[in-house]
Amino acid sequence: MKILVCVKQVPDTEAPVAIDAGGRWVGPVFSFRMNRFDEYALEEAVLFKEFQHDVAIDAVSVGPERVQAVIRRAMELGADTGVHIEISREGYMPPEVIAAHILEYARNKGYDLIICGAMSEDCMHAQVGPLLAEMMGLPSLTAVIAAHMREDGCSLDIEQEIEGGLRRRFELVLPAVISVQTGINHPRYPTLTNVLRAKRQPLKRIMAREIPLMNRFGFREAATVKQGVMITGSMREQAREVVRILHEHAIL
Amino acid sequence: MDKHIVIIAETGATAALPVTYELVTLAAAIDPDHIEIIVLGTDCGDIAHEIAGRTGLSVTAVSTSVEYTPELWKDILSRIIPGRGPDLIVIAHTACGQDFAPGLAVRLGTSCITAVESFSRTAAELTFTRAILNGKAHMDIVPDLSPCVVTVLPGAFEAYSAAPRAPGSIEFIQSDAKPCKIMPSGMSHPEEEDAIPLNEAEVVVSAGRGIGGPENLDLIERLAARFKRSAVGGSRPLCDLGWLPYRQQVGLTGKTVSPKLYIACGISGSPQHVAGMKNSQLIIAINKDPNAAIFQVADFCIVADLVEFIPLLLDEQDGTL
Repeated sequence: MKILVCVKQVPDTEAPVAIDAGGRWVGPVFSFRMNRFDEYALEEAVLFKEFQHDVAIDAVSVGPERVQAVIRRAMELGADTGVHIEISREGYMPPEVIAAHILEYARNKGYDLIICGAMSEDCMHAQVGPLLAEMMGLPSLTAVIAAHMREDGCSLDIEQEIEGGLRRRFELVLPAVISVQTGINHPRYPTLTNVLRAKRQPLKRIMAREIPLMNRFGFREAATVKQGVMITGSMREQAREVVRILHEHAIL
Repeated sequence: MDKHIVIIAETGATAALPVTYELVTLAAAIDPDHIEIIVLGTDCGDIAHEIAGRTGLSVTAVSTSVEYTPELWKDILSRIIPGRGPDLIVIAHTACGQDFAPGLAVRLGTSCITAVESFSRTAAELTFTRAILNGKAHMDIVPDLSPCVVTVLPGAFEAYSAAPRAPGSIEFIQSDAKPCKIMPSGMSHPEEEDAIPLNEAEVVVSAGRGIGGPENLDLIERLAARFKRSAVGGSRPLCDLGWLPYRQQVGLTGKTVSPKLYIACGISGSPQHVAGMKNSQLIIAINKDPNAAIFQVADFCIVADLVEFIPLLLDEQDGTL
């Protein structure tokens, strides 16, 4: 069984946002780490490897040279091979462009399962998994909170996390793409063997071709001034208002 | 500039979800005269009537052979949408919408813009705005391809409430599309959710010294249990008192969290605590002290004794479930 895990390098949560006068997102230039959702994607692949025979895990990332850090991290966490799709320049890449780059690499490679994180922490598009699946003509499920191989060995029992704490269950025929939710497993620390291997094992490097953009975009910093609303009335009226606010924000 | 808009309704078992009417508000702000709604499901006739009645818009009810799968929804929608020639396809940014919208866009040869919170327009074009970096920045996107698929964050728009002159027309379609690679196998409700780590919870209910005593932590836990993917947190002083384990501490020396909702109960709002939660998307603070610093970072402030207030809140919530 061949598994491909897609990983993304994201800015550290504390790193300052840098947007230039032309509305381009230019920073940070340091303080990066692996997208948390992708740590769960990797752990899920490692779990498949522990419970199945002959599982090979490739980890792929698209971006400039700096993203090699997360590909090595993926190998520390259990990927057998690291693949770097190299983009020569810095800057934001839309999800359809990232998916198209991965498609170029992954098609005709015979992957049985492609695992992505549900979204990236920085851009939160939640699109690369389902886009890649459709481009490859594969079925896809997102917000996956449980995935288990069925006895036939060629399909998965999937649970998808939906609103209200409910889970929707599916049988998913392989090959397929799943985008996993945090909490699907408990990511472990790297083993020393893998850490040493990740240091010396060369990465597979592929120069990306140019992918045209589908949309125009710009960035701007959000205003940070917050003004709290004082909720008034009797205590019961205040409670009622809080419940209304929670409904309005679609949290209840 | 005419814009033909197709809305894909988001439905529960027996009714359209509120977000469906929020999508109508967005569409009506763009072009109120060219909107149609598609609703899909094994038994969606009643829901179609509800939507047509409440909005006055024309509705297409597609009766499906099985319950939702993204494959089936994409199959059906990519067959019926092109003939209608929309400029814009509007979908809810829910688990279901996120599941099928990007793939639908690929099938329609276009792109998808997700988690849209607002839009602006000029004579020639529409711009959609969404948050990135936990709300620290915004991204404005102008679609260059038509049609464009957009998913809209629940709660970003008010629900459509204008009374229609007459109910909209309803067209019924029986779909013969069959599931192939994805088979639905029902719903489940996990009996025991594993405790979610603080920094992954979507809702954090936190307690401070203001809760009075450890016996009141039960109230905090009961409140947290009302939300999915929720966790209980606490201020440093509370952990120092041993009322909560340190792993549940929010703040500079504890965990930094940025959930969708943070409820601060009896927390004064020291800078060290605030640093750990100020990026939460929605902050509700409950404190007896009207001058508590927490009220400077909260979106909504309640001056009350939480031992009295939380039971009322739980009670009000029961009334709306």
